[in-house]
Amino acid sequence: MKFRLNAGQRQGLLGSAMLSLLILLIVGAYSLWGETYQARILYATFVNILVVVGLQVFTGNSNLTGFSHAAFMGIAAYAAAISVTPVAMKAIALPDAPWGLNAFELSPIVSALIAFGITGVLGLLTGLIMARLTGVGVTIVSIAILVIVHSIFLHRTDIFKGNQAFFGIPKIFDLSWITALVILAIFLARLFRESSFGLQLRACADDEVGARAMGIDIYRTRLIGWIISTLFFATAGIAYAFFLGTISARPFYFNYVFLTIAMLILGGLRSVTGAVFGTLLITIGLEVVRWLETGPTLVGVKLPEMLGLSGLLLGVVIVGVMAFLPKGIMGNREIEELFRRKPKA
Amino acid sequence: MDYVIQQALNALSFGAEYALIALGLAIVFSIMGLVNFAHGEVIAFGGYSMVMISTVLTGNPWFLMIGVLVATVLASLTLERVAFRTIRGADLTTGLLTAFGVSIILQNLFLLLGSPRPIPATQFIFLDQTLTIGAIRISSLQIYEAITTVVAIGLLLTFLRKTTLGMAMRAAALDFEMVRLCGVRANRVIAGAFAISGLLAGLAAIFIMARRGSVDPHMGFNPVLTAFVACVIGGFGSLPGAVLGGFLLGITEVAVLVLLPQEYGGLAQAVVFTLVALVLIWRPDGILSPAQEKGDKV
Repeated sequence: MKFRLNAGQRQGLLGSAMLSLLILLIVGAYSLWGETYQARILYATFVNILVVVGLQVFTGNSNLTGFSHAAFMGIAAYAAAISVTPVAMKAIALPDAPWGLNAFELSPIVSALIAFGITGVLGLLTGLIMARLTGVGVTIVSIAILVIVHSIFLHRTDIFKGNQAFFGIPKIFDLSWITALVILAIFLARLFRESSFGLQLRACADDEVGARAMGIDIYRTRLIGWIISTLFFATAGIAYAFFLGTISARPFYFNYVFLTIAMLILGGLRSVTGAVFGTLLITIGLEVVRWLETGPTLVGVKLPEMLGLSGLLLGVVIVGVMAFLPKGIMGNREIEELFRRKPKA
Repeated sequence: MDYVIQQALNALSFGAEYALIALGLAIVFSIMGLVNFAHGEVIAFGGYSMVMISTVLTGNPWFLMIGVLVATVLASLTLERVAFRTIRGADLTTGLLTAFGVSIILQNLFLLLGSPRPIPATQFIFLDQTLTIGAIRISSLQIYEAITTVVAIGLLLTFLRKTTLGMAMRAAALDFEMVRLCGVRANRVIAGAFAISGLLAGLAAIFIMARRGSVDPHMGFNPVLTAFVACVIGGFGSLPGAVLGGFLLGITEVAVLVLLPQEYGGLAQAVVFTLVALVLIWRPDGILSPAQEKGDKV
């Protein structure tokens, strides 16, 4: 059998290449003019792109909103962190860990694979449930997963340290690693969207009964989409732990879920380009607002300190997009379609 | 035996509070299909209005209670007019996300205009006194709460059965378009639902304030998350379901706290949410709602 790409997939490769170019331009601009503290912001942005692109894979294509991505990210981050942290460090960080969790250390690659595997298996198990549900049921059960995982993180302080920091994770990734991962993620997400599974998943979103009548196995399609998207979250979690050096349970909860959902819906659920644009736009917006929050001096006027402004912006984005721009900025379009001449009506 | 009665009373009072909040969610959902997560912020607004009224006008608890109820009804109506009218008729997910967005906006407004730290407001604390009957110790607040919930449900039922607006609201829950064709104003029915929901939020705010004695920007989020679960278990949009779900949840939570060893207390929420997931897998539409044929409305 000859392996050939159809027109949509060739277009997908082109579009992913264009998005990758954009990412490389950003990294290039940073290395030319950026300041050191901005490396952290850029890295966080790229982790967010991984998550939002992963969200696009399931939520975007199937139009079923999941809220559990922060939980999967947290699981992967903790699994990778616990495996890779040196024994000497864990003796301080996790003195009471059960099952000999603080008595071994693994190489970064093995740790990442373990984290990937654990998250993937959990993705499969939850997916078996998720794929059976429809509409708001998916959202509710994914909220349940988020809350369950979070309360386990908080409860087992001997393993996860709860809201305190789990520290001493060696710094393994740098900016070039995450750049490579982001580009890979963009390509994979776009190819998934254009693959037969992606197409079927989108068909189910548009007309479930019709899709079934055409012979699509809705259950299998949703399951595959769900598992693949959890693997994106796992990658994001591992990248998060391998760069920051400390993790805690706090960031893997509702606030982060809302942030990433806002990014996705601003850009437009249905396109990978939308996911990337949404993430970049909100990140830039939030950085400006955070600077305003600290009460800077503008044109000689000292602004007051305004805590909560960034959260306010996030809420306004969500409500505004939902009310006035329900399809997001990109709607159903991808980046290469912006450059194509419009067919005459 | 005393211990059992004691815990049963605890379960009832937890359940009453959840039922009160869950009813507020269910009445809006039954009519416009909106999971109103901003309900919690209406409750928090009740707390803030209490602080404002007591500093500006009067600290008399009875006036304050009326003030809180008026404030939450107005807040709920404002939210409907400003945020939820534009998305009327949109699908469930859009509504859910919008409601979350509104909830984030309000939380951060409280943060911005109020304070990130809890603000004390202790005027309602007097409701919470410990009574000893035989070997059983109960808080007077638990009794008030249970009575209020029962009375509120009774009044709500009377309203829904005896008044024209109430009947229109019941009809709207079944077929909104038909109700509009019969000449009932859509805006009035939906505003009515939000007003009732605001009133229930106000009652919940009074009890929560009596227990905590302080208000902070995030105080509404967790109670509403739990009430949301109650609605899901009972069958979303079903008012008896919301009440049933609320009490079931109260019983489960107390049972988890009693049956599990002390150190697992932190897992109560995890157990409750596992239960929700299981209920949804067993009956995707909740316990009290009939399973719908898929494709009916296509």
